Amino acid sequence: MRIIGLLIVIAFGSLLRYGVFFFPEWGDPASPPSLHVSPHYIEEAIAETAVPNLVTAVLADYRGYDTMFETTVIFAAGLACFMLLRVLQRQVPECRLYRHIPTGITLRIEKGGKLPTESGSFERIDSNWVPHDLIIKSTSRFITPFLQIFALYVIAHGHHSPGGGFQGGVILGAAVIMYAISYDLRRSIQRIGEQATAVLGSAGVLIYAGTGALCMVLGAAFLDYGALAGLLGVDPVMARSHGMLIVEIGVGIAVSAVMVWIYYNLSSAGRHDEGL
Amino acid sequence: MNILVGFLLVIGLFFFTGGAVGILRMPDFYTRLHPAGKLDTMGQLMAMGAMALYVVGLDLSLASVLTGLKILLISVLVFITSPTATHAIVDAGVRAGMEPWTKSETEDFRDLGA
Repeated sequence: MRIIGLLIVIAFGSLLRYGVFFFPEWGDPASPPSLHVSPHYIEEAIAETAVPNLVTAVLADYRGYDTMFETTVIFAAGLACFMLLRVLQRQVPECRLYRHIPTGITLRIEKGGKLPTESGSFERIDSNWVPHDLIIKSTSRFITPFLQIFALYVIAHGHHSPGGGFQGGVILGAAVIMYAISYDLRRSIQRIGEQATAVLGSAGVLIYAGTGALCMVLGAAFLDYGALAGLLGVDPVMARSHGMLIVEIGVGIAVSAVMVWIYYNLSSAGRHDEGL
Repeated sequence: MNILVGFLLVIGLFFFTGGAVGILRMPDFYTRLHPAGKLDTMGQLMAMGAMALYVVGLDLSLASVLTGLKILLISVLVFITSPTATHAIVDAGVRAGMEPWTKSETEDFRDLGA
């Protein structure tokens, strides 16, 4: 089985390498992209889309179809982690640790023992991470709001400065992951559950594809945001700018949710019980 | 003004160099984190201060002062996060049972009451 896998990898690798021979030279000024596509983007992008950041204009508008599938790939990665790792039947762990909050005494309960009632005075703690990490908790609590606002800024400001849905989404996901690391996984799952991450991840991709489909319904090509001008109440050039913002928000939602989803599955080996 | 900016940058580079040498030369995990956490924080303070001064020194206006303040905010962020990160890494090292380096090899880490 391994040999077959190796052979497949070698076959496809050499096929890709063979394909690369037909590429134009690196930075060749006579290659078709340099002759036709790049000058058009550089000269016309602001007039056509009203977006000063060329990278965003190319990524979300001219090559929006490509980016839509990049978002889908990220969602598929989250889905693959779920399919491979998630353990759906509930397993009782070998032992659980509980901390009595008023006294700080730790209880160790073996498999089959009676668990403390879910009252306010006991909290479950991870078996491999026992200490009170006051410094880490307070720092993460202090940093998180700034991190989230910065993430929203990066998503919303992708038109004018470096940034966009992917980067902002990762920062937003990192804020949740930081919470899960500094407190514990169970508390994070209580706040943003597995279902929420899955639904948000697919909703983000749906926003992107739905925007494209809406353009089609309105009589333009798929992902031609100019068609949204009537709905948004602006001229077609500005509508392309706003259309990019809509899909960037979709990308941001999808990326942040999938990052958190992948973290939940990877850090607890699919059990969603005790994290890192 | 430019002399001051250059001076701060050189001081910052001095700290960064010290940090890099320390990471390479220190004997174990915990001591290596010491230069990594402290000297980098100090070095970036100097470098960011130099940049903020440079921006303000180019032309003194509200916009440039705001840019300078934003650069200094990066310093504040690193000042809060870098020691916390170092603290968390040390904590993880202790949890994983990594013993600190001792010169004589006779002292046992567990005797320290950890």
